[in-house]
Amino acid sequence: MRVIFVIAKNTFREAVRDKILYAIVGFAVLFILSSLFIAQLARGDIVPVKSFGLAGIYIFGLIAAIFLGSSIIYKEIERRTLYFILSKPVSRSQIIIGKFFGLLAAVALITITMTIVYECVVFYQSGSFDYVSIIAMIFQIMEEAIFIALLIFLSSIVAPLISTTCAIVIFFVGHITTSALAEAELVGGISYKFIAFVYYVFPNLDKFDLRSFAVHNIPVPRSLGIIAFGYALLYSCALLYCAHLLFKRREL
Amino acid sequence: MIAIKNVSKKYFRETVVSGISLAVRDGTVFGFLGQNGSGKTTTMKMIVGITAPSAGTIEIDGESTGDISIHEKIGYMPEAPYFYDRLTGIEFLRFSGELFRDVTQSDTQYENLLKKVGIYDARNKAIWTYSKGMKQRLGFAQALVNNPKYIFLDEPLDGLDPIGRREIKEIIKTLKAEGKTVFFNSHILYDTEELCDEIGIINEGRLLYHGSVKDFSKGRSLEENFISLVEKHTKI
Repeated sequence: MRVIFVIAKNTFREAVRDKILYAIVGFAVLFILSSLFIAQLARGDIVPVKSFGLAGIYIFGLIAAIFLGSSIIYKEIERRTLYFILSKPVSRSQIIIGKFFGLLAAVALITITMTIVYECVVFYQSGSFDYVSIIAMIFQIMEEAIFIALLIFLSSIVAPLISTTCAIVIFFVGHITTSALAEAELVGGISYKFIAFVYYVFPNLDKFDLRSFAVHNIPVPRSLGIIAFGYALLYSCALLYCAHLLFKRREL
Repeated sequence: MIAIKNVSKKYFRETVVSGISLAVRDGTVFGFLGQNGSGKTTTMKMIVGITAPSAGTIEIDGESTGDISIHEKIGYMPEAPYFYDRLTGIEFLRFSGELFRDVTQSDTQYENLLKKVGIYDARNKAIWTYSKGMKQRLGFAQALVNNPKYIFLDEPLDGLDPIGRREIKEIIKTLKAEGKTVFFNSHILYDTEELCDEIGIINEGRLLYHGSVKDFSKGRSLEENFISLVEKHTKI
């Protein structure tokens, strides 16, 4: 546990010192602040402000995760920084888990920072904070956990460009499988079986989309949180376990 | 003692190291010599547990290097080391130290280590600002962070200026005086002759010689004998 913490701390420190990350966060803050102009166009209606701001948090959180995660293991292998770690009393699984937590902490910090800016904008516009969006942010961090685990899995086998492409495709598929399955149920046959296969194998990221709840200020049922947390935990663990198996076999 | 028995390494179908056996006694400085691509680095990577042998066994102090607990006794400096560039020298050393269970070094001890390798003044600078020689020295410092009994150095003198080489050689001599076992790879024979008690010569993955420097040289220079031995065994 101590070794995992040391690796996570180091990964986090490396990540938050990346200047490109500051640029991403800078753009994100500008994007969220620009929703103030949307508010003027919407003549005081807070819904477009919330939609715009939450979309910004989501997109830039995703960009940060891809930027930091797509090469995380690959880079360590290519640059041979792993040699330092593996010659010490550290197992490959500890590296995978440590990297995961370090990266998740960095991406979560970015998401929280963006949410704070968003809350300030909402407060400025409406005179009250958007508490449901804090729950939406927690759900987003759970989704980011799956996405980071996926990126770690991919970066332990393929180069960053391929890893990024695959992650974006999986992300896209992960958001449409629920509606695709509903449509396929009506059609039936082989199409349904194929969509059902994709539905169960690919991550179902729709579970974590609470933005519409936040925008319309709808209370979030507790059961949704429990299911989402359990799903994120199990799916991330499965991906990290597969990453570990691949990384263990990898020749250095 | 470091005991290597019939160790081979294959990458796909290519044999990189073939049936090497050698033993390095405690407290000696052992030079592992060979041309570029001869299998030195692969052998060292197997000894320190970065990669597993395809066949054979490697033991340090009677324990297999596949067991990560033996790594508590090992210090390793890779060839042309790369670092986490956004960390400072002292942060990297602290990170390296924290990976060991039994290492509870204070910042003063880390600083002393940086003084020992001559980069104390740059301790708070980001590693990306370091020169090649400074990185080499930092790599050396992290190999000593756990006060290891066995120290493995892959081309430790590469990229250093003459003063840097002299300083690192002095440290290796000090380590030997402290009773440490130093195993280093090199293709620079002049330094090896000066430092080593024993040498091993590897060519195309096969061990050609293992023994004392004196027995190998027999009055001639190490370089002359090395070249003639390697040329005799090189497949054309």
